[in-house]
Amino acid sequence: MTVDGISTYPGLGFGPMGPVEPLPGEPPGTQLRQNQDTTTELPTTEKTKKERTFVIAAFEFHRVETPFLIGLWIFFASLAKIGFHMAPKLSRMLPESCLLVFVGVLIGALLLSTHSVHVQPLTPDTFFLYMLPPIILDAGYFMPNRLFFDHLGTILLFAVVGTVFNTLTIGASLWACGQTGMFGCTTPLLDMLLFGALISAVDPVAVLAVFEEIHVDEVLYIVVFGESLLNDAVTVVLYHMFEAYTEMGPSRLVYTDILAGLASFLVVAVGGTCIGVVWGFATGLVTRFTNEVRVIEPIFIFVMAYLAYLNAEMFHMSGILAITFCGITMKNYVEANISHKSHTTIKYTMKMLSSSSETIIFMFLGVATVNNTHVWNTWFVLLTIVFCSIFRIIGVYIFSAVANKFRLHKLNRVEKFVMSYGGLRGAVAFALVLLIDPTVVNLQPMFVTTTIAVIYFTVFIQGITIKPLVKILNVKTAEKRKPTMNERIHERCMDHLMAGIEDILGKHGNHHMRDKFKRFDNRFIRPFLLRNYQGAEPKILETYSKLAMRDAIEYMQRNASTIGNISGAESMSAIFKNYTNTNFNGSPSFSQIDTSTWNIDMQELEYNPSKKDLTDAKIHHLLAEELCKPFRRHRRLSYSRHAVNERDLGIQVNYKTHMNIRRRVGDRKHHHKRSKRGKQDGKNHVTFPEFQQNGSAKQFTHDYIDEVLQEDGEEREVRRDGDDGGITFTAKSPPGYKEVSPTSSHKENSSSLLNQLANLPGFNPLKARIIKQYVKTPEEILPTAVEKSLPWRRDRSTYNFVPNEDILEEDERRLSDDNDNYNMIVAEQARVATPTATETMLPWKREEAEGSGALKQSEFPSWASNKEYLAYNSPSSTFLGGIEKPKHPKSIIGLFRRESSSSTQGAAEAVVLSDSEGHRESTSKGEASSKDGGVRQGPSLLSKRSTSLGGPSVLLMEDVAHSDPLGASSRPASIMQGPQRGQCRRGSMMELTGSMSRDAITEEKCCKSLPESERMGVRRLPLGQSLGREPFIRQLTLASSLTTSSSSEDSSDENT
Amino acid sequence: MGNKSSLLLREEEIAQIQEETGFTPNQIERLYSRFTSLDKNDCGTLSREDFLRIPELAINPLSERIVQSFFAESHDDRVNFLQFMRVLAHFRPIKKNRENKLNCREEKLRFAFSMYDLDSDGKISRDELLAILHMMVGANISEEQLTSIAERTIIEADTNNDQMISFEEFCRALERTDVEQKMSIRFLN
Repeated sequence: MTVDGISTYPGLGFGPMGPVEPLPGEPPGTQLRQNQDTTTELPTTEKTKKERTFVIAAFEFHRVETPFLIGLWIFFASLAKIGFHMAPKLSRMLPESCLLVFVGVLIGALLLSTHSVHVQPLTPDTFFLYMLPPIILDAGYFMPNRLFFDHLGTILLFAVVGTVFNTLTIGASLWACGQTGMFGCTTPLLDMLLFGALISAVDPVAVLAVFEEIHVDEVLYIVVFGESLLNDAVTVVLYHMFEAYTEMGPSRLVYTDILAGLASFLVVAVGGTCIGVVWGFATGLVTRFTNEVRVIEPIFIFVMAYLAYLNAEMFHMSGILAITFCGITMKNYVEANISHKSHTTIKYTMKMLSSSSETIIFMFLGVATVNNTHVWNTWFVLLTIVFCSIFRIIGVYIFSAVANKFRLHKLNRVEKFVMSYGGLRGAVAFALVLLIDPTVVNLQPMFVTTTIAVIYFTVFIQGITIKPLVKILNVKTAEKRKPTMNERIHERCMDHLMAGIEDILGKHGNHHMRDKFKRFDNRFIRPFLLRNYQGAEPKILETYSKLAMRDAIEYMQRNASTIGNISGAESMSAIFKNYTNTNFNGSPSFSQIDTSTWNIDMQELEYNPSKKDLTDAKIHHLLAEELCKPFRRHRRLSYSRHAVNERDLGIQVNYKTHMNIRRRVGDRKHHHKRSKRGKQDGKNHVTFPEFQQNGSAKQFTHDYIDEVLQEDGEEREVRRDGDDGGITFTAKSPPGYKEVSPTSSHKENSSSLLNQLANLPGFNPLKARIIKQYVKTPEEILPTAVEKSLPWRRDRSTYNFVPNEDILEEDERRLSDDNDNYNMIVAEQARVATPTATETMLPWKREEAEGSGALKQSEFPSWASNKEYLAYNSPSSTFLGGIEKPKHPKSIIGLFRRESSSSTQGAAEAVVLSDSEGHRESTSKGEASSKDGGVRQGPSLLSKRSTSLGGPSVLLMEDVAHSDPLGASSRPASIMQGPQRGQCRRGSMMELTGSMSRDAITEEKCCKSLPESERMGVRRLPLGQSLGREPFIRQLTLASSLTTSSSSEDSSDENT
Repeated sequence: MGNKSSLLLREEEIAQIQEETGFTPNQIERLYSRFTSLDKNDCGTLSREDFLRIPELAINPLSERIVQSFFAESHDDRVNFLQFMRVLAHFRPIKKNRENKLNCREEKLRFAFSMYDLDSDGKISRDELLAILHMMVGANISEEQLTSIAERTIIEADTNNDQMISFEEFCRALERTDVEQKMSIRFLN
């Protein structure tokens, strides 16, 4: 049966080193051809047998059999893996590998009972060509390079000398025992040595599987694991050497053959390493040019590593060494070249492939156990296990004693024990033993059985007990952590120091060699392989960017919660526990961190608005009037987070970072003003009464409230306080009132609100043009629109729009069943708020809502980037010339407005300001309306709006820093920000963000609201319900007839 | 070579050095031979030029600081053998049973700290850190980036908000680092 099982697999004659008996003059191509032959032959033999069994389904199954079976195996193996982790008790007690083997045995038994014994999945071919490379690549690619090379001497000692020692001692001992006749069969020395060669090698797959779970100290891990990787060359050479000797026969063996074996070892090891390194550099070089086609970046890593493996096998060299060193080499260069997303892809794909391979290997081991007819020789099995254990221990103690002479970190007794106990055997040995030709080595069946027994012993007995033993012996366990900036810099500095000391001592130690390589690397290799060569210390930069990224996220979290006075921390903020808030607030220089660098994340910030803004100016205009829209978009994203792919989340983070940087840049520029916070606070109250005198303060308040509402429902109470002008936000940046207040006080007497607006320091002719853009349509809607009041209306309309929707949507959901776009959005938001209530209507409604909002969504980046465009081009108002056509505003808001107004009869006469304002409106509506006077247009306006398709909302954009090109963007930002910052902070925010581009803040706010979105949704629902029966006043989008000339004149007046 | 250098070292000198630094006589002799081979002028002391004549050290980015650390205790810009050995004693690996005051963790850290602390005021200022960063990172990174890195580093370690890293803060920042391991050299016997 064994013979049958083996002859089924023609790959038998093919080993990791090629054919078992390579012809001397054989070109490598022959090897490859043979390889292909064997792999294609495999399914055909299975097929012929299958067809006899499954007659009915034969034809269909025949076509897909091979891939189907493969898929089935993978599926069941992965399923088994899931199963284990569903049973925490089981997986805590047993290593995964044991459970997988066990499942494999079960499946094998099942196959045996159905007489499908010939389905022997684990062939040397599949193992060495398909299953092993992913695991080894994963190991090599994620190998801690420095650790590995620091301990390379020890690793090599164990891998080379230790393995040879084990092979010889195990083989000789078994042979000696065989001489006593206790095995009941003749045991030629060479056969025993051959067996010793394959059984003595520590198996990387088994070691990985077990050591990954026990989390031992990194030094211990790297020594054992490095040994298991590097001993492959030794194993392969010894295996082939003894196999060749066996075939030659002991009689014809001359000492030159032994020397040839030694030479062959060098060729196999060094050749494999060199091939791997060359392919690694090649990969680095290729990825240098993939920046235009990021999608295919990961494939290069996998394919080229695999090619390195096959290439080494082609030349009869160690493929494991090749792929290991390929991974080690390529890593540094590839990581610097590829995008962050590609990095994530590579990481996960590699882990997925390797863990699947591992799963399948162990499962197949189990299956193979049952399927082979075993030749059980108790003494041979027992003695093999005993010898393996004993000589492993002896070898470890001897060689660690040798290594300790040269090591700074001495291997102690516990470590030695774990090293010897962790010498697990696994699938490599099994695959090798299957490769033995039973016609040459008669004992091959017995070897197979014994190998399986040894594997079971190491995987089960040692694998299960090593975890408790590690605990009992108190082995140092590894701690996973990211290096801090200090650690990174100081450790690097220490490295240099130690290298210098070594030089002074005239000693060529580790530090010396590493320094030498680093110099060479930085001077010759990196400049060629890296696209963005970033200096000699990429690790420092990398750590810095990572930390800066983390800070940014943390900052966002903290900031968001602070602004809203939200006591309950978001879940994400828990991630950044170790971050100290005092660092941010307390140290004035912190904001400088991100100042000029803009590379908070060197790889990740591919979202680069500045590239797009110039080309997307028109789209900007469409969206500029809907500054509030992105809120919804983001909210929706985060609400359906579970349903949305992860990419969106990543984008959010990017946005956040991006915004945060800019924000902090802005903060820093006005940092000095922050210290004068108290003074400015005092001025806040001075300033706002002025606005009230103009009759617009109330309006301002409303605007702010509305916007804050959409930011966070929880802020409502705070905002109501803000109505009284006493709002105090915890925003850390109250500067800027200084500048605003003089101006506004100067204009105190001005009866014309418009003038005041225009004379605001930040008023920008450019923005005025934006306003002008909407002139035509607004005129129809608001023929009576007074110029003075317009700016405020505009302002208000802009901000009220979305909040209104929020409220209105809740309202409308009850009032109307229309399936218009507006309701779609209502449904969508309602889904967020009350997932259960609207669940049924969700699918199609969401669909439609998205359809209606598609334009908006897709254009969000443009919208964002175009603010930067404004920032850059604000001094010259000419750029917006082409945008002044009013057609854009019609498209989105017009649709919304019309449909919503027509659909909501109840709300038709109502102007919805916001939910919080709605409360207030309900109580003091008359007062409010009278106060606002001409500002609120009421029903008539609404009806007009419903008739006019594209009643555009007008964006008020004036700037604090009029002369500052960057500052041009600040006012809109501050407006957006306004509600959050609080009414009294408006000027200060303008000032604060003077140098920021608008998207920085608006986006930031969008994103900031994301983590809170869920809470917001929850909060909003009751709100909507409570407001549901209130008459809602829908805020109309107002238009201004402001002309460019007038605005520019005003601004020029201000300048003079 | 060993004979020659040992001839120059008297027994009591060796004993004194051994007492103070913890090196074995063998190591002392070996280091003395290295010392004399560096001492091109045969005057029994080393100058900065003697150090910088070592080719590998000359291209070490921190060579200036490393050499400077040898001259911390000398007043005349010359280093005699005892001072030389005192500095090197910092890098002896720590033996659990034999605690030496020169190679304990704190002394190692203090030595690393002194690499930064140019004005030896017990604090690493932003500029001092920046200077080290400049040496290590090189010219490929903009000044602003380095500045922000330096500031970020200081803020990270700075617990008392003085914008400086004191020695205590330095130790705290590196408390998870295996300094004993990293700042040790295996001296040949």
